[in-house]
Amino acid sequence: MKKFLTTNVSRRTVLAGTAMTAGMLAMPSILRAQDRSIKVGVYGGYFKESFDTHIFPAFTEETGIAVESIAEPTGEAWLVQLEQAARANQAPADLSMMAQVAMLKGQASELWQPLDLAKISNADNLLDRSVNKYPDGRVCGIGAVAWYITLVTNTDVYPEAPTSWQALWDPANADRLGLLALVSNSFLLEVTAKTFFGGTDHLSTDEGLEEVFQKLAEVKPNVRLWYRDEAQFEQALKSGEIPMGQYYHDVTGLAAADGNPVRSTFPEEGGILDSGSWALSRASQKAEEAHVFIDYMTRAETQTLMSQKVGTAPTIKRELTQLTDEEFAAVSSDIDPIIPRYDLYQTRDDFLNQKWTELIAG
Amino acid sequence: MTGLALKAITKKFGDFKAVDHVSLDVPQGTFVCLLGPSGCGKTTLLRMIAGLEEPSSGQVVVDGRDITATPTHKRDFGMVFQSLALFPHLNVGDNIAYPLRIRGASKAEQSGRVDELLKLIHLPDFAKRPVAKLSGGQRQRVAIARALAISPRLFLLDEPLSALDAKLREAMQVELRQLQQQLGITTIVVTHDQREAMTMADLVVVMGEGRIRQAAPPVEIYRRPADSFVAGFIGSTNLIAVESDSIGRVTALGTALPDVAMVDGARMATLSVRPEDVQITAPGEGVLAGTVTFVRDLGGTIETFVDVSGTTIVAVTTPRDRSDLAAGQKVGVRIPAQSAVVLKS
Amino acid sequence: MRREAPKSVADYAPLVFPGFMLVAFFVVPFGTMVAVSFFQRQQGGFYTPAFIFDNYERFLSAFFGGVLGFSIMLAVVVALVCVAIGFPFTWLISKASRRVQVVWLVALLSVLSLSEVIIGFAWSTLFSRTAGITNLLVWAGLMAEPRALFPGFGAVLTAMVYQALPYTVLILYPAIVRLDPTLTEAARTLGASPIRAFFNVVVPGLRNTIVATLIMVFVFALGAYLLPQILGRPQHWTLSVLITDQAIYQSNMPFAAAMAVFLVLMSLAMVGLTLLVGRKGEAA
Repeated sequence: MKKFLTTNVSRRTVLAGTAMTAGMLAMPSILRAQDRSIKVGVYGGYFKESFDTHIFPAFTEETGIAVESIAEPTGEAWLVQLEQAARANQAPADLSMMAQVAMLKGQASELWQPLDLAKISNADNLLDRSVNKYPDGRVCGIGAVAWYITLVTNTDVYPEAPTSWQALWDPANADRLGLLALVSNSFLLEVTAKTFFGGTDHLSTDEGLEEVFQKLAEVKPNVRLWYRDEAQFEQALKSGEIPMGQYYHDVTGLAAADGNPVRSTFPEEGGILDSGSWALSRASQKAEEAHVFIDYMTRAETQTLMSQKVGTAPTIKRELTQLTDEEFAAVSSDIDPIIPRYDLYQTRDDFLNQKWTELIAG
Repeated sequence: MTGLALKAITKKFGDFKAVDHVSLDVPQGTFVCLLGPSGCGKTTLLRMIAGLEEPSSGQVVVDGRDITATPTHKRDFGMVFQSLALFPHLNVGDNIAYPLRIRGASKAEQSGRVDELLKLIHLPDFAKRPVAKLSGGQRQRVAIARALAISPRLFLLDEPLSALDAKLREAMQVELRQLQQQLGITTIVVTHDQREAMTMADLVVVMGEGRIRQAAPPVEIYRRPADSFVAGFIGSTNLIAVESDSIGRVTALGTALPDVAMVDGARMATLSVRPEDVQITAPGEGVLAGTVTFVRDLGGTIETFVDVSGTTIVAVTTPRDRSDLAAGQKVGVRIPAQSAVVLKS
Repeated sequence: MRREAPKSVADYAPLVFPGFMLVAFFVVPFGTMVAVSFFQRQQGGFYTPAFIFDNYERFLSAFFGGVLGFSIMLAVVVALVCVAIGFPFTWLISKASRRVQVVWLVALLSVLSLSEVIIGFAWSTLFSRTAGITNLLVWAGLMAEPRALFPGFGAVLTAMVYQALPYTVLILYPAIVRLDPTLTEAARTLGASPIRAFFNVVVPGLRNTIVATLIMVFVFALGAYLLPQILGRPQHWTLSVLITDQAIYQSNMPFAAAMAVFLVLMSLAMVGLTLLVGRKGEAA
């Protein structure tokens, strides 16, 4: 497991995304020539490598369906490409791993083909939150991978692990934090709402949002770095330069296992749970294969393997997996997670973005 | 009083000696021309006098003071470059006033001196012109005026007239000489044009391969060249191989030349005879006998090419002397002993 | 030589290729961007063709005005610093031997091959408290304890100057090499010390080159978006950073396009202003 994870490839965000991904998009890798095949989009870099190595070959062996994996960029560039291709009745990938906001945006334009849960025998395994649905109840996405963003600290600087997200507001931590720079990837509004206002429902009203923004403004003096690129913060966290912040639970765990003085803590309010779903383009002709693929991916053994080899949190119920406590703790937690209000980033995207940018850069 | 003295100056670039042990005394107010083919070291020598190059050894002495280590900008010389190096962003007046401005002269002093100099170079009322709007000759004069603005102790010019056309160049040579005499300033000009040197110089310094081959007034250089290099470089000349027998009789081209004597009892030497000194006579009358091979009639002068035992001797005459020669004609050639110079081989 | 006006269609043939390149690589992309800047943004989706001014309206606020102002100020300072350092530096290189010149130019070219990402990370390490240059100062006894020099304006400026300096030198180098060396020699024989000759003759003689270099570095620096976000605090983020956020993370192409159009117009205005001032200076 270490061998692959320690390559330290940027996982979810790709710095200077455009140039790098443009090159990767053009390079599909074909596993095996088969009569039946499917094109699957996964985040380029670490994810694609891990899936190509650990997951897809076994799938092809068992089902006879060849997987052509395609590196997709994060952000919403891939959504734009899928949408434009679908208008021309083309599918650059049949199935794609999509972030939740992108899922919602694709729903708005009916980009996703409805999925038939009856054809997915393992559908019962799934956590409720791992099934994406159109407003009318049709299923349009199935949880592929999930990961946590937690409170991370440098153990040299903080011998005691913090217990709450409130540590971000502690005046003792002035100019010591590294936080994600965008409203739509830091999910700090949700963190603030859950920590101080009883839950993310508080974000549903304008007054509630206003209160949350005001509370969040108090954290500004503590922030040393608002980062867009993971590697930048990770390095500073390891060295103790920026000893506290929000970061990915799995990567932090790996860094700690490598002997770096870092730790990831699930605060009592919960870690932030973000996830990607499998979604099928409406232009795809491979609905049959797609259902077989999703069924395979939601199996308990596959989910277990993904947690062990790729480092993602399972999207099915924990008791169904064969993960040991230690393995489970490496990727997840039983503490009730903070689930981002993805709907807000669809309906109030520009408002939130504007307020956020003015908050941190103003 | 000595204006400028060069003492055993040598300049090496790597293993190459550009200037080799040059010593020269230049009296105050003298107009010197450094003359020689390209690569002879004359420009390097001038740049060392200006301080733009550092001598590898030797000294530059001006008015009795060793200035070898004085930086260029403290030497108070005036220099005119081959490219003229007028400052393109300044107008004529500001170019000329530049050395005065550097020395902190007042505006009034500057403009007074500029007007004075513009009059001197016959370009009054040009002060406000941009230099780009000047003709070649005008730029030349502005460069000279700028170099003279501070009344320098030494006036140096590097091929100053080479960019001008032939007619303008001749006129400027005369003008420059007159200007120098008017100001009485010690002047050193580098040139490869012997005609220019003959026109302007009090003292011509012929250089070859980094060394001074001869330093003398122009007429002496012409009449009494020190060696065949100088003789060949200054004007055109006939070079005839001569040898002497055991009792000192000198023969050339198989014919005895009774009035010519060898230098230092050498056996072999070269005889230099200027073409205008060669006399063409009737067959059998001259000392040497030959055949006319070609006649170049230039109108003002006639050049007659005579083949004497395989060596071509050129004679320059005026049309009044002989106008009846033609190729193929047998003639006699007389070389007056007083105008022939025996050069060491 | 007399230039004749083109008489037939064929006489315009040499213009076809440059014309095509101009259309293909400038007019079409820029035109598309201008068009998109007037489109209707579909929140939670894409955009639809329209002709509305909402995107420009949104930009016209004190907040974005401040960001634009900072971006321009940063680019101007980078350009001035680059020329102030690069000009004497290039002059000294041009006086050096051929071999020294080649070594320097190759070194500079190799800096050009570094991506903005690498430059950003390298400087963030150099400016860090744990591994940065202040540790050397502490070691040398010049400082009591190591300090972080980033994030901050100085860090952004340093890295941007570092990135733009090779361009500066490469733009200046040909002009400086072509400058008649006898101009400074003449100034020296006329009584100017070498430093005075440099300022009196070389600088004014290359005024147009200097202005052109300032403009090019300014435009280059205006597009920077990685270094400000890696080495700066949010108040040092340039308009290019916000454009990237809108285009890549918010998929709000119309607004990103409107901001980009503003940025292009502002840089054209700055260039125009510089040229205007330059022309006036020349006439005086």
